[in-house]
Amino acid sequence: MPDKIILLVEDNPADVTLTLRAMKRSNIANEMVVARDGVEALDYLFGTGQYAGRDVAELPVVVLLDLKLPKIDGIEVLRRIRANPVTKPLPVVVLTSSREPSDLTACYDLACNSYVRKPVDFNQFAEAVKQLGLYWLVLNEPAAAGKPP
Amino acid sequence: MMIDTSQQQEPDRRPPQLEDTQLALLNILGDFDAEKTQLEQTQTATFNILEDFNQEKARLEDAQRALLNILDDFDVEKAKVEQANLMLQSKSAELNVANEELQRARDTLEVRVEQRTAELQQRTSELEAANRELESFSYSVSHDLRAPLRSMDGFSLALVEDYGDKLDDQAKEYLSYIRSSSQLMGRLIDDILNLSRITRAEIHLDRVDFSALAEEVAEELRRAQPERRVEFVIAPHLEALADRNLLRLVLQNLLGNAFKFTGSRPAARIEFGVTAGDEPAYFVRDNGVGFDMAYANKLFKPFQRLHSDEEFSGTGVGLASVQRIIGRLGGRVWAEGHPGEGAVFYFTLHRS
Repeated sequence: MPDKIILLVEDNPADVTLTLRAMKRSNIANEMVVARDGVEALDYLFGTGQYAGRDVAELPVVVLLDLKLPKIDGIEVLRRIRANPVTKPLPVVVLTSSREPSDLTACYDLACNSYVRKPVDFNQFAEAVKQLGLYWLVLNEPAAAGKPP
Repeated sequence: MMIDTSQQQEPDRRPPQLEDTQLALLNILGDFDAEKTQLEQTQTATFNILEDFNQEKARLEDAQRALLNILDDFDVEKAKVEQANLMLQSKSAELNVANEELQRARDTLEVRVEQRTAELQQRTSELEAANRELESFSYSVSHDLRAPLRSMDGFSLALVEDYGDKLDDQAKEYLSYIRSSSQLMGRLIDDILNLSRITRAEIHLDRVDFSALAEEVAEELRRAQPERRVEFVIAPHLEALADRNLLRLVLQNLLGNAFKFTGSRPAARIEFGVTAGDEPAYFVRDNGVGFDMAYANKLFKPFQRLHSDEEFSGTGVGLASVQRIIGRLGGRVWAEGHPGEGAVFYFTLHRS
């Protein structure tokens, strides 16, 4: 599994730490790239800005996407991921605080793969991360298009 | 006059001239008689004519009198008509005045309607703005208020897990208070958001099988605590015209409360049905801990609780939500209870 990179798009350092902690608890040892706003996330995915020159064919195995982000928000990030043929098949899990109906509708309209609300109770949060890891890193078969053979 | 024709039969006994004269005379006499007769006839006819004339004259006089009478009547009528005309003119003038007043009133009304419409539009846009503000407020609450709680809970746990050997029992107890408070605040935020969502939610009226819905909710409750023995008595064939999702929330809260407050009863019994009488009301009855009617007015206020969290957990939003929903569905909700003897919650759906 070490070759499978997880892209965590999260601006809150405490939440980053908690997410890493939850993953460690579930023995998820994948390399984690953290983007602290929407621009960083898109730079990573499209090899621009601070990630200029990155091999964009190397897609992360899953994107964990917060919605409320500085600069470019999560919904816009999702829209651009889906608008590009290379990143279109990328599994995107919305991992956020809210379950506002408008957010849910917008995310599913843009074909997010899952929508998970981060519980306040860390034990529940860790359980959710464990389930996500099990599903997206172990059970799910990604589209072959991302990576050349 | 008669002429003796026998005398004319003796021409030979008189001289011829005399006879001729005599004859002529006789003829003249005869003619005279004829004239006389004619004259008499004419005279008679003249008399007749004169008589007729008199009659005609009388008739004419009658006709003239009648005509005069008619003329008199006509004058009377004419006077009446003139009077009527005068009256009509004054009525018409009055009507014109009334019309003008009416027109003025209509103009005023139109102005007022326009003013009101403008006011209403203003109010509507204010309400819409307030609604948008409320929505962005709850959006922000939903996103921003929960993240710090997650940190408080998560890092309190991290301290216990990673530095447990350096913490004494009291420190660990304090950390557990931080965790339970954070979690409670998380639930409160969720409940506030749900409550405000109920106020904003669109209502979709539908024919709802109320009995089946109650069975579903009862089944959810049984599954959540399978170890409990609770008898649900749900009246069959209850139908309602209402919003299904909102009715489900009502039943989840009322049946859920009944389930919660019968927790200490070895034989809990929860009933759902409808009352008989002039104003039939749905009811949820339980044989749980009940409540003191002195606090009945507090039941439906948000975040008001009659029990401590140790006795019964909860945020105090459930019945406030029920009241908002029932209010939006055009009904009312009330409760009866006695300490230790259970509670009954009644509600109607449409004001008649």
